[in-house]
Amino acid sequence: MTAEDSFREMFAMIELEMRRLRHDRTEIYTRAVQPILWLAVFGTVMSEVRGIPTGEMPYIDYITPGVLLQSTIFVSVFYGLTIVWERETGILKRLLVAPASRWATVVGRSIASGVRAVVQALIIFPVAILLGVKFVSNPLYIAAAFVVLFLVSGGFAALSIFVASLMKTRERFMGLGQALIMPLFFASNALYPIELMPPALQHIAVLNPLTYAVDATRGLLISGDLSNLAIDVVAIIVFDVVIFAVASLSFRKIIE
Amino acid sequence: MAFAIEARQLRKVYDGRTKALDGVDLQVNPSEVFALLGPNGSGKTTLMRILTTQFRPTSGLARNFGLDVVKRGAEVRKMIGYVPQETSVWADISGFENLLIYSKIYGVPSSRRKKSIQDALSSMGLEEVAKRMVKTYSGGMVRRLEIACALLVKPRILFLDEPTIGLDPSARKAVWENLTSFKKEYGTTVFFNTHYMDEADLYSDEIAIINRGKIVKSGTSSQLKQSLMSEILQFHFNHHDSNHDGIDEGALRKVKDLASVRDAILCDSRLDVFVEDGETALPKIIEALRSEGKSIERISAARPTLDDVFLRYAGTLSFGRDGG
Repeated sequence: MTAEDSFREMFAMIELEMRRLRHDRTEIYTRAVQPILWLAVFGTVMSEVRGIPTGEMPYIDYITPGVLLQSTIFVSVFYGLTIVWERETGILKRLLVAPASRWATVVGRSIASGVRAVVQALIIFPVAILLGVKFVSNPLYIAAAFVVLFLVSGGFAALSIFVASLMKTRERFMGLGQALIMPLFFASNALYPIELMPPALQHIAVLNPLTYAVDATRGLLISGDLSNLAIDVVAIIVFDVVIFAVASLSFRKIIE
Repeated sequence: MAFAIEARQLRKVYDGRTKALDGVDLQVNPSEVFALLGPNGSGKTTLMRILTTQFRPTSGLARNFGLDVVKRGAEVRKMIGYVPQETSVWADISGFENLLIYSKIYGVPSSRRKKSIQDALSSMGLEEVAKRMVKTYSGGMVRRLEIACALLVKPRILFLDEPTIGLDPSARKAVWENLTSFKKEYGTTVFFNTHYMDEADLYSDEIAIINRGKIVKSGTSSQLKQSLMSEILQFHFNHHDSNHDGIDEGALRKVKDLASVRDAILCDSRLDVFVEDGETALPKIIEALRSEGKSIERISAARPTLDDVFLRYAGTLSFGRDGG
């Protein structure tokens, strides 16, 4: 299996996702509703209350990176459902019999989900502008934020594929997906600074990849403070590499 | 010359308990259409999944064109096409797009991609619906598209798991006509599992019957029929008989024990008796049935069909063993 074969397959997977998206965008729109409510309702109200100390930053600006990430990570965490569905049909069997490597399949699908997630974020981004969120004006910063978003979404999609290879049925997967997503969101700095959390939760937040992604995107999109960016990006890449490896190793289990 | 498919003493045990394959020996010649028949749970699908490198066998050996499916799986995957029993195309994109994605996954070079897709579409008679979304296809069209996806790389062996299950007779016919002409053109070896005896009879060069994880009989359709070395005498009984089934174990045993009878099978209320020579056997059978107090309504004679072969080797095999 050459590297070329693997890259070819990864690109095919991305193309597949784009084509599916082109034919039916309903999901992208319906999935945008919840994050928009977080910004428009929760963000606006909490901005008025000023209950959470976010320094100079208006609260709605503070949570925008977190909400963007939450919306993309929702897409990723439930990407495994597609894999479970493909397991129930014959698609996965067929992919495993194709001349392509397991890791190319897993990484390709994860990246494809990352691309889908970025499209999702692109829908919410203009809404945030309309709601008065003040973004950093440097387009390079914005582009870099989307790269971070893409990287972390790909990682969570791989996590989802890993979970799918263990759970194997829709019902079990849905249960675990639901159990995963909200704690992930709440045990991060998406909605409030880590320092406000109880100590036990702080430890979890430090291990949560979402924390680093939020920190990086908040720096790039809102505050312009890039002092932690290097650490954040390293943490995200480590997460990606580990989870890609784990998901690739367990992938074959899914059809057994 | 190497066999297209070769299995030797292939075993697969699931979870250390369930024996799915129990020593399968099998040879398929290149360019042959090979049908594997077997009842549910006989190991058909497991065998196909081992041959297509999805599962590792617990022990034994399997090769496709001389390549070991375990040790050289990557090379095997490059030369085989596989269509699983379940749907294996994406319904939310068009037929053409499915072929495009699969052609990229299979590594068809971009210079040949368009032609491969065209060929695959025309092999399966799908040119006119290529641009339509797959979710608007009929069952037969979906199945042809799935096979078309496998034909993109002109595989040396095409594995089809229950290729026409759930299709109506005209869709089945269309699938097979397309497959047959593709096979004629490219000399592809076709290996398929099926429940449909007529399909095996009509379209395969060779047939193997698998039961309880073992190949119990193989040969051409006519060899298999001849192997019964018999004609079948069918006895229909009067319904007013005290025994509503028409016949009981005792009478069945008595018929089976006759020297001129090879086997006897109860099909509903009809008794099928396999005999080598009908003319000499018939009086003895009638006598045996009469002595058990059975009143025969009608007797007919039939040549064995593949259904009979299947029933003999897979359906009522244990019955036959108990009797003999």
